[in-house]
Amino acid sequence: MIRFLLKGILRDKSRSVLPILIISIGVALTVLLSGYIKGVFGDVITQNARFETGHVKIMTRAYAENIDQLPNDAALLETEALIGELKTEYPDMDFVQRIKFGGLIDIPDTAGNSKAQGPTIGLSFDILSQNTNEVKRMNLKNSIVQGRIPQNRGEALIGEEFSKKLKVKIGDVVTFFGTTMNGSMTFYAFKICGTIKFGLAALDKMAFIIDLKDAQMVLDMEDAAGEILGFLPNDVYNDMKTIEISETFNQKYKNSTDEFAPVMKPLKAQNDLEEVFNYGENMSGLFVFLFIIAMSIVLWNTGLLGGLRRYKEFGIRLALGEPKSGIYRSMILEAILVGLIGSCIGTLIGLGGTLYMQEVGIDISEYMKESTMIMPNTVRSKISSNLFYIGFIPGVLAMVIGNALSGIGIYKRETARLFKELEV
Amino acid sequence: MQDRDSGSCWFTIIKMEKEYIIELKNVVKRFPVGDGLFTALNQIDLRFEKGEFSGLVGPSGSGKTTLLNIIGSLDSPTEGNALVLGKDISKLTHKESALLRNHHIGFIFQVVNLLPVYTIFENVEFALLLQKYTASERKKAVMEALEWVGLEKIADKKPDKLSGGEGQRVAIARAMVKRPEILLADEPTANLDAANAHAILQTMVKLNQELNTTFIFSTHDEKVMKYLNRIIHLRDGKVESDDLIKSKENVPGT
Ligand SMILES: Nc1ncnc2c1ncn2[C@@H]1O[C@H](COP(=O)(O)OP(=O)(O)O)[C@@H](O)[C@H]1O
Ligand SMILES: [Mg+2]
Repeated sequence: MIRFLLKGILRDKSRSVLPILIISIGVALTVLLSGYIKGVFGDVITQNARFETGHVKIMTRAYAENIDQLPNDAALLETEALIGELKTEYPDMDFVQRIKFGGLIDIPDTAGNSKAQGPTIGLSFDILSQNTNEVKRMNLKNSIVQGRIPQNRGEALIGEEFSKKLKVKIGDVVTFFGTTMNGSMTFYAFKICGTIKFGLAALDKMAFIIDLKDAQMVLDMEDAAGEILGFLPNDVYNDMKTIEISETFNQKYKNSTDEFAPVMKPLKAQNDLEEVFNYGENMSGLFVFLFIIAMSIVLWNTGLLGGLRRYKEFGIRLALGEPKSGIYRSMILEAILVGLIGSCIGTLIGLGGTLYMQEVGIDISEYMKESTMIMPNTVRSKISSNLFYIGFIPGVLAMVIGNALSGIGIYKRETARLFKELEV
Repeated sequence: MQDRDSGSCWFTIIKMEKEYIIELKNVVKRFPVGDGLFTALNQIDLRFEKGEFSGLVGPSGSGKTTLLNIIGSLDSPTEGNALVLGKDISKLTHKESALLRNHHIGFIFQVVNLLPVYTIFENVEFALLLQKYTASERKKAVMEALEWVGLEKIADKKPDKLSGGEGQRVAIARAMVKRPEILLADEPTANLDAANAHAILQTMVKLNQELNTTFIFSTHDEKVMKYLNRIIHLRDGKVESDDLIKSKENVPGT
């Protein structure tokens, strides 16, 4: 019987094409949108985790409060010991020190006078240790535009855009001016070994990257760091875990009144990411919901029209001895088949589009120029397992619901009445 | 249920002189029309034997279709009883009446009602899909039915390629493929030319004789009447006359 219905669907274009078209489009849109949201939010997580928030971040309370001002005077002290403690407690995780610092880059000419100057946001992390994960985590090697990554103390990377503005070349020596942890003035000469482009407008404009040890030396921050970032095993983010870890960590310092006591924040508690994610989830949930409702209504109506056209067929089938329940059931079965076909096509199109969007992406750097938010310059979708059903199931469901509604008409009509359609 | 039926059948045959396949007792059918009721069938009393080749004859609106619909359990009488193969039509549930149609009753309509998306083979096969046949049993039965009507060679064609006469022959094959006891044909020749009408009637006469199927026609076509061996005249929902005829074209046993 299924084979018979399938033949009917495939041959009777008017019965199948419109619903299949509607479902395919709806399902494809759902998949595309979900993949897009997933991709953008996944990127936002990854990028934020890498450059800013870690999966969890440990700071002093005072630092956390004024984090926008990069308050290194409130940095964590005895960081090596703290990291040691953290490592015994969470042996799978990677804990790393980061120092962010503001300052000025000055390019001297041969006479020692200032040729060019520009404010900078310095970023320092462990580049030079043998077993550092940071180089890979920051995708440093692939982000180099010219030159190479630092191999010795005293070498620095500079943002590609920044380097153009300052007209700095590889091999140039620049002077960094800044303030130490204790508030006194400091300056130090660095040799530019490479330019870098992360694809993050906020960073590329004014980035100055040096090894952690150099930063600690220049800023008088021996065994101190503004932030300790924690990363879950293999850098795979897990919402629940970060919250759980943060809660247990903060529990220990609950009763402390010290404003320099450490505090741990999970990724989502930073940079307003929580709101961003809730918004994204609500949007996609809402879209799928509206999609089912709208499609059901459209398919209900196409089902009604199709049903009217088919009263003659139903009459014949009644005459041949099929009960109404059988006809109704076969309508539902047909709806499932059409729904499956439409959902398959839609999912394939959606996945194809998502794959394209994952590989190629859309360049939004134009819109991000002035942004200080950590957002990738190219937004990409992401294929994930839920894309295989997120449109598929609603597609089938909408078709079945639509037809179940329209099929009720069969029960409402008397047998003889349906049969009468045969006389004309 | 089945067992008890066939068991009592044994006694019935002995007790009754004749085996009636259809018995209509004081059948009345009224339709709601406007505020009142319209009596389409009035006190119909008819019995049909197995193997009859009979026709309901009367002008349009005389109640022929209504009566066939009741016999075919597509409708039920307002008053009286219609017993078809021992089953009281008005007491059947929707499912039971569907089952009765499916196994025991075939229909042929005035308009050729084939499902356009299916081939001729599939149109005939459809009648068997509701029963438990294997694919090879279906194929055999369908090809045999198409041979009865002489269309086995064009089994794979679609209905839109057929002439009216061929279409009606497919409809006969579809109605007969499950070898029903009763075949109801509502003005089957109304849309056919004389040659096709005769061809179809001859096919039906042949099937009537070979399979001993009970045929009941509704018609006002003279051509059909020649073949009938019983003519029941209906007028305004009443039986006007009921005559047995030894028709030249249809002498049982030839
Ligand atoms: N469902 C119905 N509702 C109201 N009137 C009907 C209905 N079916 C048939 N009739 C009426 O009953 C009468 C007999 O109809 P029908 O059996 O179709 O006649 P015939 O087949 O002999 O032309 C006609 O007057 C017709 O209008
Ligand atoms: Mg009629």
